[in-house]
Amino acid sequence: MPKENSSLIEKILYSVEKPGRYVGGEHNQIIKDWDSVDVHWCLIFPDIYDIGQANLGLAMLYQILNADKSILAERSFAPWVDMEIELRRHKIPLFSLESKCDLKDFDILGFTLPYESIYTNVLNILDLAGISALSSERGEDDPLILGGGQACYNPEPVASFFDAFVIGEGEEVSVDISNVYQDWKKANRSRADLLLELARIPGVYVPSLYDVSYHPDGTIGSITPNHPGVPEKITKRIVATLPTHPSKFLVPNIEIIHDRMSIEIMRGCTRGCRFCHAGMVNRPVRQRSAEEIIPVIKDGINATGFEEVGLLSLSSSDHTQILELTQKVHENFQDRKLSFSLPSLRIESVSIKLMDELKELKPGGGFTLAPEAATERMRAVINKPLDDEDFYQTVTNIFENGWRSLKLYYMIGLPTESMEDVDAILQAAIKVRQIGKRIIGNSVKIHVGIASLIPKPHTPFQWLPVQSPQLIQEKLDLLKVGMRKAGIKMSYNIPDSTLLESWLSRGDRRLGKVIQTAWENGAKFDAWGERDNLQIWRNAFRTNNIDPDFYAYRERDLEEVLPWDHIDIGVTKRFLKRDYEWSLIGRTREDCRNSCFACGILDAFGDQRPPETICYWGCP
Amino acid sequence: MLLGVPMSDTPIRIRVRYSKAGNLRFIGHLDTQRLFERALRRAGLPIRYTQGFSKHMRLNLASALPLGFISSAEMLDFWLDEPLATEEIREKLQESLPSDIQIIDLDQVDNSLPSLQGSLLASDYKITLPEEKSCEEFLQKLEQLLAQSEIPIIRRKKTVDYKPLILEYSLEVDAQTRCTLHLKLSSTPNGNARPDDILKLLDVDPTDCVIKRVGLFFSSLEG
Repeated sequence: MPKENSSLIEKILYSVEKPGRYVGGEHNQIIKDWDSVDVHWCLIFPDIYDIGQANLGLAMLYQILNADKSILAERSFAPWVDMEIELRRHKIPLFSLESKCDLKDFDILGFTLPYESIYTNVLNILDLAGISALSSERGEDDPLILGGGQACYNPEPVASFFDAFVIGEGEEVSVDISNVYQDWKKANRSRADLLLELARIPGVYVPSLYDVSYHPDGTIGSITPNHPGVPEKITKRIVATLPTHPSKFLVPNIEIIHDRMSIEIMRGCTRGCRFCHAGMVNRPVRQRSAEEIIPVIKDGINATGFEEVGLLSLSSSDHTQILELTQKVHENFQDRKLSFSLPSLRIESVSIKLMDELKELKPGGGFTLAPEAATERMRAVINKPLDDEDFYQTVTNIFENGWRSLKLYYMIGLPTESMEDVDAILQAAIKVRQIGKRIIGNSVKIHVGIASLIPKPHTPFQWLPVQSPQLIQEKLDLLKVGMRKAGIKMSYNIPDSTLLESWLSRGDRRLGKVIQTAWENGAKFDAWGERDNLQIWRNAFRTNNIDPDFYAYRERDLEEVLPWDHIDIGVTKRFLKRDYEWSLIGRTREDCRNSCFACGILDAFGDQRPPETICYWGCP
Repeated sequence: MLLGVPMSDTPIRIRVRYSKAGNLRFIGHLDTQRLFERALRRAGLPIRYTQGFSKHMRLNLASALPLGFISSAEMLDFWLDEPLATEEIREKLQESLPSDIQIIDLDQVDNSLPSLQGSLLASDYKITLPEEKSCEEFLQKLEQLLAQSEIPIIRRKKTVDYKPLILEYSLEVDAQTRCTLHLKLSSTPNGNARPDDILKLLDVDPTDCVIKRVGLFFSSLEG
């Protein structure tokens, strides 16, 4: 067992805010004897404990890896600013919560990267651990630095920092990686050998084994393997059958966000909204049956004592047994004083029935709808078709069923969007408020949330530019003034705050230097917004002679090699192109469970498809 | 609602004395309260909830233990819907608690007793001073401090006189000549003294000490 720093750490905990973030010791924590296993993982969520601990992916990997006798998996998070100061002052390297061992002593550091604004925190954590930021500068004794998560479908901006990425779902491939690592460690071979072997595992991307060339105009010429036996394209990994859901969740000792038990009832979405990254990269749709979910909730409640359960999916109403599931939840748990949440409901009457079923378990609370656009034309462009009549009927039903608070989510900055389309959002909100007032009275609460589109990789909108901040501001002003007059609460992202996300999500390898410069100049916790980091980022682009507008405001040619073209999500570029063209003429696609549009997912993974009795897939 | 669930109108009041140590000393008061709520739910005990619109567990901790202190004298009350053997309650609850919390006593008490919080008078603390501290010198400083007519301490921008709040003190030296300070301090809403405030006045860094609460004193407790 390597040296642990408990006594030094305890001393500094007296001088930091919320020391409970750094002590671990939660109910259901798993502590294994260090010397009893061959491979030591530390799973790292690069934000503070309060933000990261509830992450379901982290919980799943923690249980899967620790279930293996040869593996130990501990956790670590980004220390908050006050703790970082203390760690640096006392020269204490960043440590894991379980054993308090230095991160440097682990074999594999697995970073979860759910969004891009977390990248500078990765560099900060590596620095606090005394590990070089650049993969090329790390030595034989350094841990393997592994990345995974939803942001990794375009890993290029952080390619230089990671030794390898998991592309896709981590449940099975993580164990594969651990096994390869274990054999390599026993054989006492070089780090270069390890990387080559990892690159042969389906779903593992080793960026240093690929070269990128550029055209004089800055666009990418090619992305090619520089070593024999390394695949040209990295096809994401999926789990054909969703594995047994974990139930022995860690129970945090301090208050965290999403402080509840989360159960993933379904993965993926068949609706094909064109702006939606998650909807494209998480295909095929797979679900857990109601018969499987109920015992998981029971075991989970008994093992954790949580008072709240979230039933998670991208589109809850599309679960084929959703009514049965909510009824069973009602029957089984009505006496348990629990509350249940069911996010992402579609705008249709059945959603109200679902919410009513759960409402009895939790009085109060509000209803949320996400029409995303306010005109039928605009909704056809984004492929979220909905008749106005159905929308207002659903709204009416919601109020008639006693809900007093309604949240509406819309997007602006969509392709072909006019000021009339934006004004329609305001008119819709006003009409919804009138309906609410008529049924509920003056106490009705309407809240409108406005997001501006960032065209994401692997979506039909990936070629589009981000709309200019001036135009977005103009649209926001129209809405802000109108909503204020109408007495409707509105929240929105300021255009600047989405810029960083658009650079980092749509960027290529050249951004690595920018990220490093930004971090060196103090950028961290970029996701928090409150720290005014944007100027640091602009300066970092300037220092490295890179034009940020190239990534944000440039419309990309349909034939251009995109930075993420070598990452294969199963959905083909041909399909995305056609969907983009359909979008511009307002042609929609129906739910692809009803008719297959050959997105490519069945060509890529159809041979793995299990019988429906084992795991339901949404594909026809 | 299911029919036929028996619910006694008179709740069963259970009083627990417990210790808190290890990593849990970095878990604050509200978090400790939630920790107990979840442990009670895991234990599967017939917990009494408050009635009304927003139901929550009836749980009453005697006193907030400051962050970083350990204790062998914490107390809390909770209520059950149905009577159960105290041994069974104790066993189930202990099993679902982290090992840094150990139940010392668990008993059923009378519903008519006043609340723990409302009847708390004082706390006893045992403070292990840093090894390098000279006991004699420390005692001298302490007595000088107590000889002052007032001991002003600034807490939340308000000055509090600690003089009447320090009820008892004594000093003990062990075989390794390590010094242990006993303090009995007032813990009422009108006067609540913290031992770390006193240590700071005596030029001792509280984070170098082990501060343990070893007793709670109430105005009217039975059992």
